[in-house]
Amino acid sequence: MILTGEPLPLRRANVDTDQIIPARYLTGIDTEGLGEHLFSGMAGGAELLAESPGATIVVAGENFGCGSSREHAAWALTARGFRAVIASSFARIFLENAYTNAIVPVVVRDAMIETFARARSITLDVAEQTVRADDGEWIAFELDALRKHFILGGGYLPYLASKIETVRAWEAAR
Amino acid sequence: MRSLFDKIWDAHVVEELPGGNALVFMDRIVAHEITTPQGAIAIEREYGDRLYDRDRIVAVNDHVAPAKDTATAIQAQVLRTWAKRQGIRLYDLGDGGICHVIVPERGYVRPGSTVCCGDSHTCTLGAFGAFALGIGTTAQAGAMLAGCLILQRPKVMHVEITGRLHPSASAKDLALAVISAVGFRGGTGYVLEYTGSAIEALDMEQRMTLCNMAIEAGATTGIIAADATTAAYLAQTQEAPTGWPMLRADDDAVYAARITLDGDTIRPLVTWGTNPGENMPIDGRIPVGAAQASLDYMDVHVGAEMRGIALDQAFIGSCTNSRIGDLREAAHILAGRRVTIPTIITPGSQAVKRAAEREGLHDIFQDAGALWTHSSCGPCLGMSMGVLAPGMRCISSSNRNFQGRMGDGGRVHLASPAIVAASAILGRIASPADIATARDSRMEARV
Repeated sequence: MILTGEPLPLRRANVDTDQIIPARYLTGIDTEGLGEHLFSGMAGGAELLAESPGATIVVAGENFGCGSSREHAAWALTARGFRAVIASSFARIFLENAYTNAIVPVVVRDAMIETFARARSITLDVAEQTVRADDGEWIAFELDALRKHFILGGGYLPYLASKIETVRAWEAAR
Repeated sequence: MRSLFDKIWDAHVVEELPGGNALVFMDRIVAHEITTPQGAIAIEREYGDRLYDRDRIVAVNDHVAPAKDTATAIQAQVLRTWAKRQGIRLYDLGDGGICHVIVPERGYVRPGSTVCCGDSHTCTLGAFGAFALGIGTTAQAGAMLAGCLILQRPKVMHVEITGRLHPSASAKDLALAVISAVGFRGGTGYVLEYTGSAIEALDMEQRMTLCNMAIEAGATTGIIAADATTAAYLAQTQEAPTGWPMLRADDDAVYAARITLDGDTIRPLVTWGTNPGENMPIDGRIPVGAAQASLDYMDVHVGAEMRGIALDQAFIGSCTNSRIGDLREAAHILAGRRVTIPTIITPGSQAVKRAAEREGLHDIFQDAGALWTHSSCGPCLGMSMGVLAPGMRCISSSNRNFQGRMGDGGRVHLASPAIVAASAILGRIASPADIATARDSRMEARV
């Protein structure tokens, strides 16, 4: 699975989920309409999105997605066409939500963030777990060996559903 | 050799999975109206009526309760009709409150158990010696369908608080101090396991306040070993769980990291910036090296005092500080005085509200000119009542001072209920000591 796209150069650290999608937009029972409010809680967020209308890969600093557990953050990214987030670290719950929504969470060294933020195009090879900015060298990144399966098309709920009998047997013997 | 967390984890691993993951059994799943509908609908669409065990699920309408508009009315109604259809216990208007308040208040948490909810502040329940964590909607749906979460095993950080909490400080100040010590993202990948004499001396409400903010250091959760204080609290709850193990860490437990704070050195704190780690002593100055973006958003500068900054609103409530002890702390300051800025006081549950009213706290609050509301998540997340206008500055007993958290362009300073109450009276960031001083100086002026 190869993804190629333009970056949305947020660059900053601690992009919390209130910045990604403010709570006032969490009033639905589906995922409709979330995309139009993406980054509306971030100072300058709307302007950054307008400057990079074709962007599909977020580039940010440390601790991306900290704060609330709202999966709406992942849904809003997906709704706007984002397929990956490159950051120097992720908050746990967002990281889990990214995998279940097939958003590729790419961790690179802080020093590399600017390279990706300035790139015209970023290419990701999910299967090989490598990424590069423009024609630069391929950089390896880590993915969770199990959750990678969710990015490549296996669903989270079907996987858990396949475990129900195992869980029941475990509980019976508990 | 094992920490308290290790013991709970080991007892709940159903299966080790690839990539360092495990299938971890969830004893309790809490479901609220904002993050549950999409998952509940997905399960019913794909799997029909299949739930792993409906008796393990507790549903709560809490975030926008009562509903504020058609969209939130639909959310609440979806949760209601789903709970009824599936035979799930629902806490709704009149009998409800914030899920992290009513779940422990009714005794739905057992020491040594696991709890998850599509809400990051589920870590609150770690106060009961449970492994309690926030998760996304899909993970919550998976737990309802298959009884389990897929989790990477977190590391454990030993957070020891020695001595006793200083009399001028509250559990909120301790929580903020821990976030500063661990770092706003320093807890990522860890469970914070709290021990020490200062922790043992905390009551259950104080322990909940402390554990509630573990997520604000990025931690998976916080946890405190159950003891006689825990047992006494749970014994008087509706569900009154019994037969749970009094687990604690082995004396030779191995931790991946360790920090120690002296409880006697904790003093009242207030945040100056846009994350809870950006805090300082109430009588301090904003430190050199403060993040410029945070300073700009909050319209403050390095070297500035927080004390004395003019405020537009005050809020006491949220899953951090809305229990009876928090309300007593505020009432103690507000008794016989008047607030000078709009002040909203929101109890964490209807049971807390009724308990407060039996003690006459509602009269103290209303005599002081504060707005005493029904229970709800309220102004904390800018989703229903008490939203800030751009530029408004609010002092709040809640847990997040993120940009726009309480309203687009609004500014939030986090502090304890006592600091919020004192600040509401003076209309500027203040400590209870400042009120005594203000009164004394007025008396002197009269003389």
